[in-house]
Amino acid sequence: MKKNTVYPFAAIVGQEKMKLALVLNVINPTLSGVLIRGEKGTGKSTAVRALADILPEIEVIPDCPFELAPDGEEEAWAECVEALSGLPPQAPRGAPVSRKVRVVELPVGATEDRVAGALDLEHALRHGQKRVEPGLLAAAHRGILYVDEVNLLDDHIVDVLLDSAAMGVNTIEREGVSFSHPARFTLVGTMNPEEGELRPQLLDRFGLCVHVEGIRTVEDRVLIMRRRAAFDENPVAFAKDFEAESRELAGRVTAAKALYPRVSVPDTLYAEIARFCLEVGVDGHRADIIILKTAKTLAAYNGKTEAGSAEIEAAAELALPHRARRAPLQDVVTDIKTARGRKA
Amino acid sequence: MRDKLYPFSAIVGQDALKLALTLCAVNPAAGGVLIRGEKGTAKSTAVRALARLLPRVHSVAGCPYNCNPDRKDEICPRCAATLIRGNTVFRKRPVVTLPLNATEDRVAGGLDFDTAVRSGVRALQPGVLAKAHRGILYVDEVNLLDDHIVDLVLGAAGSGENRVEREGLSVSHASRFMLVGTMNPEEGELRPQFLDRFGLCVEVVSEKEPGVRAEIMRRRELFDLNPGEFGARYEKTDNKQALAIQSAAALLSHVVLDDSLRRMISEMCAEKNCAGHRAELVIAEAARALAALSGRTEVFASDVETVAPMALLHRTRTMAPPPPEPEPEHDHEHDHDHEHPEEKNKDTPPEEENQAENTPPPQGEREQKQKQEQEQEQEQDAAAPEDPEERQEKKPKSVTEKIFEVGETFKVRRIQSPKDRVFRRGPGRRSRTRVAQKQGRYVSARPRKKSGDIALDATLRAAAPYQPGRKAREGGGLAVILRKEDLQERIRERKTGNFLLFVVDASGSMGARGRMIASKGAVMSLLLDAYQKRDKVAMVSFRKDGAEVNLPPTSSVELAARLLAEMPVGGKTPLSAGLVKCAEMLRNMLVKDPAARPIVLFVTDGRANQGLNGERPVPEAMELASRLALDQRVTYIVVDTESRGLVSFGLAQGLAARLGARYFKIEDLKADNLVEITREARQ
Repeated sequence: MKKNTVYPFAAIVGQEKMKLALVLNVINPTLSGVLIRGEKGTGKSTAVRALADILPEIEVIPDCPFELAPDGEEEAWAECVEALSGLPPQAPRGAPVSRKVRVVELPVGATEDRVAGALDLEHALRHGQKRVEPGLLAAAHRGILYVDEVNLLDDHIVDVLLDSAAMGVNTIEREGVSFSHPARFTLVGTMNPEEGELRPQLLDRFGLCVHVEGIRTVEDRVLIMRRRAAFDENPVAFAKDFEAESRELAGRVTAAKALYPRVSVPDTLYAEIARFCLEVGVDGHRADIIILKTAKTLAAYNGKTEAGSAEIEAAAELALPHRARRAPLQDVVTDIKTARGRKA
Repeated sequence: MRDKLYPFSAIVGQDALKLALTLCAVNPAAGGVLIRGEKGTAKSTAVRALARLLPRVHSVAGCPYNCNPDRKDEICPRCAATLIRGNTVFRKRPVVTLPLNATEDRVAGGLDFDTAVRSGVRALQPGVLAKAHRGILYVDEVNLLDDHIVDLVLGAAGSGENRVEREGLSVSHASRFMLVGTMNPEEGELRPQFLDRFGLCVEVVSEKEPGVRAEIMRRRELFDLNPGEFGARYEKTDNKQALAIQSAAALLSHVVLDDSLRRMISEMCAEKNCAGHRAELVIAEAARALAALSGRTEVFASDVETVAPMALLHRTRTMAPPPPEPEPEHDHEHDHDHEHPEEKNKDTPPEEENQAENTPPPQGEREQKQKQEQEQEQEQDAAAPEDPEERQEKKPKSVTEKIFEVGETFKVRRIQSPKDRVFRRGPGRRSRTRVAQKQGRYVSARPRKKSGDIALDATLRAAAPYQPGRKAREGGGLAVILRKEDLQERIRERKTGNFLLFVVDASGSMGARGRMIASKGAVMSLLLDAYQKRDKVAMVSFRKDGAEVNLPPTSSVELAARLLAEMPVGGKTPLSAGLVKCAEMLRNMLVKDPAARPIVLFVTDGRANQGLNGERPVPEAMELASRLALDQRVTYIVVDTESRGLVSFGLAQGLAARLGARYFKIEDLKADNLVEITREARQ
């Protein structure tokens, strides 16, 4: 695979909320993703692709297309080996290798069999053996699944995503193949609301949601133009200019990851989150859980071991916009504070 | 992977849900659970957690059909042979997940590929229905399941047996399972037939108490941080629960139900007007399970009362609504002393009209009112600027313009275009169509032309008869020798979304007597329906002196809804202009996608009073309509906004006749009574 130089994450001008939401998801994959809504040409896709720059490393079982973890997924590994080769694992598996978390892109036109995985037809016809051909969901396990223009995704593909996002397992029951494998991924989607909305069920699967719009200040717009031109001219040199910043950010992410389990939330704030959600009016409990986790991740990112009201306020702004209850077919709420004010 | 599941006993609240699942675990005859509710309310979590608590059943070791050794009558042939050796085990009732994208061969069972290739013998590879025998068949988002898969599941659920008649296989095996499904009603409803197959139904909502919500957050966070440790903490309570279920299941056969209670149950069901007798059976079985859980061998009335709501929730039918009252008379009285009747209507919701219990006044008086009302409407229409100068200035303020609120929405009856043999692309859920993509139901195979969508089973079948001859001639190590001419490709069928064009009359006459409110309600209902069926929509409205495209074709039903809410009303009725604009849009649409089958909905009273070139408006419109009707690819529907019972002009009806359209009154569009939905669904 040819390695293209991507635009460095640190070089993106403005769009702080979007960048924050992405970084938080990298630190804590259980936040289950970001939906980035906004006009065209606002750096949505650039930011997601640039994430590769700051992604941490994980340990994986070598030569496993399902990206399984060496600890805790041995059972699944044995099943996967059998599904791939038709034989139970014989040789002891190799020592875990570490590599960067991956960003797997799901193209809008993808077919169901490529997403979920299917029978490896070529192998079947050539060798008379049934073998699973892993799909994109397998590749995205423990990584980021990125869908550009997620609102244009075909309905049945959305169903597949919903199915596996619900429990972190992808079940294949098609064309003679019966197999399931772990598929826990961070779902990152970008969309332009003018092209149509997402189905509510899928909307809810995104942990966070941010709105982006074009930057309004002249200086920043000039800066964007200048950086983009510099990057197009010489990507490698441009990336080098930002290398220090990128490294610093990556280091901060790694530190936050380590700190996260030790972050605590005072008891009184749990009730505050619950009240917040009740005031805005949300379906179910996912919003509460996401706010809690986002607040903790935010605290870890800022090097704190306790999340406070400020973190919760910020987390709610990221976690609630797409969850505030609306009348059927009404627009997504853009400003969470007014939604809260209206209800209160 | 098993250890990563959230423990059942750690779920906070949702007692009805937990009870329903537990009852089914004790007594499979309770018939499974349908869990309806908002997203994020632990629906799926609860079902998956239940798997650990299920009791063990006696079964034959290694049998893919999970045969019951105590039921010699329905045992599979293989087990009949191994049973002699007494090869039985106790194993947990299986929980089998049916993914939404499952193919038919994996659900019902299909040709076993390995056996076919290795030994040339046709054998059945058991499908999900076999695996789920004596266990739970679990479908997440069950309302999104494809119709043809639903048919298979229904077939097996009905007879307790799965018959496979495909790909040259003819096998049947026992398949009795409990259906457990979760659904979010926002995404559409279940077919009534399917709905009835779920024994119990629970509605889940999120907790409203901040303290409880906080506890949910706390537990979830602990679980995510360390699933193993969290699981261990609840292992004891989970085990206790599993034990309770196991012993209740053992006790179940001793639990008796008194005849007086049976009577009580059937009275309950009669009162709720349930269809069929499944409700009675389910209540009885669930009540027995509840008694067994409490360690009793006798069912109490309280048991029945506890479980009955769960069995009745989805089976309760309202009696067919009486035909609507002829015409709300009290409105006319207001018309007398009111300059702007529509303003009055703005404050009174339209449904109030139907509830009017005034006795109809004598005929004469009625006609008089009718006449007055017509005059009023004409006045309103005449309020449109006749002055050419003013018209050029296009001052919208000069016309009596009003924006009406959106009336009450309802569930609409099924509207679809006829099935044909044209291949087309695109997702959606309205009409069935043949598709050229690798998606949808695999209906049959044919010799390959150029598609990469190879039907493996059909290909092998085609190659099979020639194998001995080819092997003798060519030899080689391969089990199957394939030739190019063996290859078969799939023909698939799936529902595509339709293109829905709304042509809405926004003239002054629509403003009278709440017509526009009701019309907007109807259009909004159709839009909601369009969302669930993934249609593309566009909207044209006509008023004053022309028609305009309010909404170009889009999948954003939200946008359409917003535009609808903001649509102003007032001025004359240039029906002809509306028809012309509609024809233009259809032409563009059909040029882009000749295989499309658009549906056009006219929402109007048909009272044209503004022609195109000074022609007489009504004949001109009718002439145009006849011409529009020539294109066979378009399905027309006319929704008449004229209220029922009046001395009607019947103009919309005439329009419908010219267009070859189906004709509905607004009230006719409603499909909120179960009987009607059923009838529609069967068609």
